[in-house]
Amino acid sequence: MRVEAGAVLLELDDLKTHFKTERGLVRAVDGVTLKLRRGESLGVVGESGSGKTVLSRSIMGLLPSTAVRHGSVRFAGQEIQGMSSKQMRHLWGAEMSMVFQNPLNSLNPLMKIGKQIVEPLKLHLGMDKDNARATAVQLLRDVRIPEAERRLNQYPHELSGGMRQRVMIAIALACGPTLLFADEPTTALDVTVQAQILDLINEQRRDRDMSVILVTHDLGVVAGHTDQIAVMYGGKLVEYAPTKILFADMKMPYTKSLMRSIPKMADPSHSRLATIPGRPPDLVNPPKGCNFAPRCAYAQDRCHVEEPPLTEAKDAGHVFACWYPVGSPEFERKDAELQEQGIMPADSAAVS
Amino acid sequence: MSDGVGVGPVGVEMAAGMEASAGGAVVGLSQDETTKRTLGIGFWISITWITVIVLAAALAPWLPLKDPDSNFIAAGERPPYSPNGTHWFGTDQDARDLFSRTIWGARISLTVGFVAIACGMVFGGLLGMIAGYFRGWWDRVISFVFVVFLSFPALVLAILITALLERSLRTISITLGILSIAPVGRVARATTISFADREFVLAARTLGASHRRIMIKELLPNVLIPMGALALLGMAVAVVAEGGLAFLGLSVEKGSTWGKMILTGAGSRDLQKAPWIAFAPIIVLFLTVLSLNFAGDRLRSYFDVRETAL
Amino acid sequence: MRYWLQRLGAALALLLAVSMLTFGAMNLLGDPLFNILGPAASDTSTEEGRQIIADAKAEYNLDEPLPVRYVKWGSAFVTGDFGVQFSVDGQPPVADLIKERLPRTLMLLIMAQLIAVTLAIPWALWSASRADSVVDKMSTATTFLFIALPNFALAVLIKYVLSIKFEIFPLIFNAADPFWTRVWQMVMPALTLGLPAAAVYQRLLRTDLITTLQEDFILTARAKGVSRRNVLFKHALRPSLFSFITIFGITTGALIGGALVVEQVFIIPGLGSAIVEAILREDFPVVLAIVMLVTAAFVVINVIVDLVYSLIDPRVRAS
Repeated sequence: MRVEAGAVLLELDDLKTHFKTERGLVRAVDGVTLKLRRGESLGVVGESGSGKTVLSRSIMGLLPSTAVRHGSVRFAGQEIQGMSSKQMRHLWGAEMSMVFQNPLNSLNPLMKIGKQIVEPLKLHLGMDKDNARATAVQLLRDVRIPEAERRLNQYPHELSGGMRQRVMIAIALACGPTLLFADEPTTALDVTVQAQILDLINEQRRDRDMSVILVTHDLGVVAGHTDQIAVMYGGKLVEYAPTKILFADMKMPYTKSLMRSIPKMADPSHSRLATIPGRPPDLVNPPKGCNFAPRCAYAQDRCHVEEPPLTEAKDAGHVFACWYPVGSPEFERKDAELQEQGIMPADSAAVS
Repeated sequence: MSDGVGVGPVGVEMAAGMEASAGGAVVGLSQDETTKRTLGIGFWISITWITVIVLAAALAPWLPLKDPDSNFIAAGERPPYSPNGTHWFGTDQDARDLFSRTIWGARISLTVGFVAIACGMVFGGLLGMIAGYFRGWWDRVISFVFVVFLSFPALVLAILITALLERSLRTISITLGILSIAPVGRVARATTISFADREFVLAARTLGASHRRIMIKELLPNVLIPMGALALLGMAVAVVAEGGLAFLGLSVEKGSTWGKMILTGAGSRDLQKAPWIAFAPIIVLFLTVLSLNFAGDRLRSYFDVRETAL
Repeated sequence: MRYWLQRLGAALALLLAVSMLTFGAMNLLGDPLFNILGPAASDTSTEEGRQIIADAKAEYNLDEPLPVRYVKWGSAFVTGDFGVQFSVDGQPPVADLIKERLPRTLMLLIMAQLIAVTLAIPWALWSASRADSVVDKMSTATTFLFIALPNFALAVLIKYVLSIKFEIFPLIFNAADPFWTRVWQMVMPALTLGLPAAAVYQRLLRTDLITTLQEDFILTARAKGVSRRNVLFKHALRPSLFSFITIFGITTGALIGGALVVEQVFIIPGLGSAIVEAILREDFPVVLAIVMLVTAAFVVINVIVDLVYSLIDPRVRAS
């Protein structure tokens, strides 16, 4: 069942995750298909409400009881979509693990750090106490925590935010998983710490031939740290490409808007961040046609009526779902119009 | 007064995260759709029961009830008689009609409950508001008095007073009234504190309104809402306390009360031979206390919702 | 350190206030002389009668003004001298009565709390792990019934069901029986106090557990592959215990009040019935001693609650 580096580790086929609520069925993830090879890293990007967090939890099977899943999730060749929590438990922590956004909330505040790291080691690898403790110390060293032995007897509140996130990563790495989910792992941290944590995850990925799915709202975060990027909107994949290709040639106006909301070093301080106007779509009654059309400055009549299918771009592995993508004559005409009216900032969203 | 312990801030990180990604629109729903503001059918059933009992008690002299103190001894049979067509709840050992005794008993039990909580509301409310509004020494002294009253079993104080004074309706009511000052006062204080710093109070103060005016015009209406819910709960506690006193032989001397009626039937032999003597008043008392509790509880959560929406 | 000094000060002030209140109420509202001497207390017609009254007043310090009597009583009390019982026949020390009665009430309270806690914790875990399901809603409704049922009514109900309908438990408490027999005899009274307490605990613990189960660290534990059971017991339970511990302290106070009634219904000669009898006899030293004992117990329990708090939560320990 062990997958060779470079072979396909995870395969999603039309994965849907819906929540039963009083208002009706919330289509949080609505048909996502993708593949991830062992050792690769994938960035899942989107605003809050785009379904990216639900996607990652849906793959892992960590969903509340109100959730309903359809479609297929194949992990290491095995179909895991219909598995019960009891069956999944042997994969959780052992084969796939997760790092969450807020390291203070995601560590048990009343349990010593050592105990929290040792727990999965005993559970999955059957280690005895001494062995597990020694491994825990090694893990803390791996994630560059100074004075590792002393940390074992400390509580989460005694560490800084960045340290806590390192501990979370150590816990996630403990049993040598082949797939790591990192859900906004740096959002709650200081800017200076953010890059260190991302570098750490990347470095561990290379050392361990691990696949990483990095979930974030920030295109800037995934830029330097992933091989592939999946852009999500309204529970659907709207653009998917190798990272370099995406940044060189983004097709979706939505992706472009996400790009614009990254603060740039060159901007004068205190300049306003561009945000995408409007609200994410209602996932109970999604709009007709393209989900993004109501907020899209380039939307034309067709966008409001017909839903665009995922289309291949000229580069291999690059797909997008848009009738009038960036670079199409219709888009350019509209862009010129808008610039005349002075509505859109005239940057071409180039990030180096 | 109840298990009124504040439930900590609801940490819905995961839920919020899920919600946000599950449907961005859920977060921005209009208020009336997310928070259901209804009191529910249970509340209205409770209120109906309370109304029926209160009306029956108030109108007891004019209702076609049997005389609660007459002995309806049937020829050839020794009382107590089990429930039947003439005596709906049966009779006690002296062949007195339990149905009419239960309704007459409601008069005393409910009067005690009502006077007690009214006492608590007026004095507890006043002290609590003073403590909460002026803070400082006022607060320290009043809060300490509250703690003193809350820190030893209320029933001990009640028996202390009732044992040493004559056991009239007035003494019992006032005793229980004194005991409800501290619990009510604490809630009044806490609510006042939560409102004293709000914009509308500060605004009134900067406009030069007097303390008295601020307390009556601005704070009182807001403090009254949670207190109203508390009143129902407090009345339940007072009605129960009367029963407890009755079991210690310290309730109102004249007339029947629910507590005294239950005591009449609580002996082992009576329970064995004529359980209805104890259970008729127990059921009525239980339904009344349950209704008061339930209605109070619903009202409390109903208004809490509004407070958070402010 | 400063915090504990403040606590100590507050506790002493509380004991002082409660003793003054009780002392004052008893002396102002009652007439101790009458209870010592009976009808002779008002017999001032003969020289002999006046002499008896004067002797009694001197013996019990009744001649002196209230504050002086209070100070005399108080200074004796803190040295462990609780005084003697007021009675015409002999003057048994108050301490003897308390020594005899306290263990029974203590047994009742401990058994009640044991029943309450051992019921409430599994019940709350069970409910919280299936929150808002039909069975959970039914269990919440059950707690409501228990809380609304007055203790004397519950006592009658339990007596009827467990002793009269099904003859499981004996109706009589006999202090001379061996320990385990007494435990068996104490089950019904303990259930009367324990079941409503269990309902209160269950409701609180269930709410807190549901809150905890939504925390991220629970998801972390699940993502590690920890079983459902262990997530509940090892990760969710401890962080959910804080308000439970607070209410445990408060409930102990309420149970002491409940013990008065329950001891009466089940005819247990404990502290509760002792204080009721003493109040009816206007036996001031006994009432004072028991009230002080109960208040002191209340203070001690609250200190213990604070200590347990810091034991559970390392964050409290640090500050």
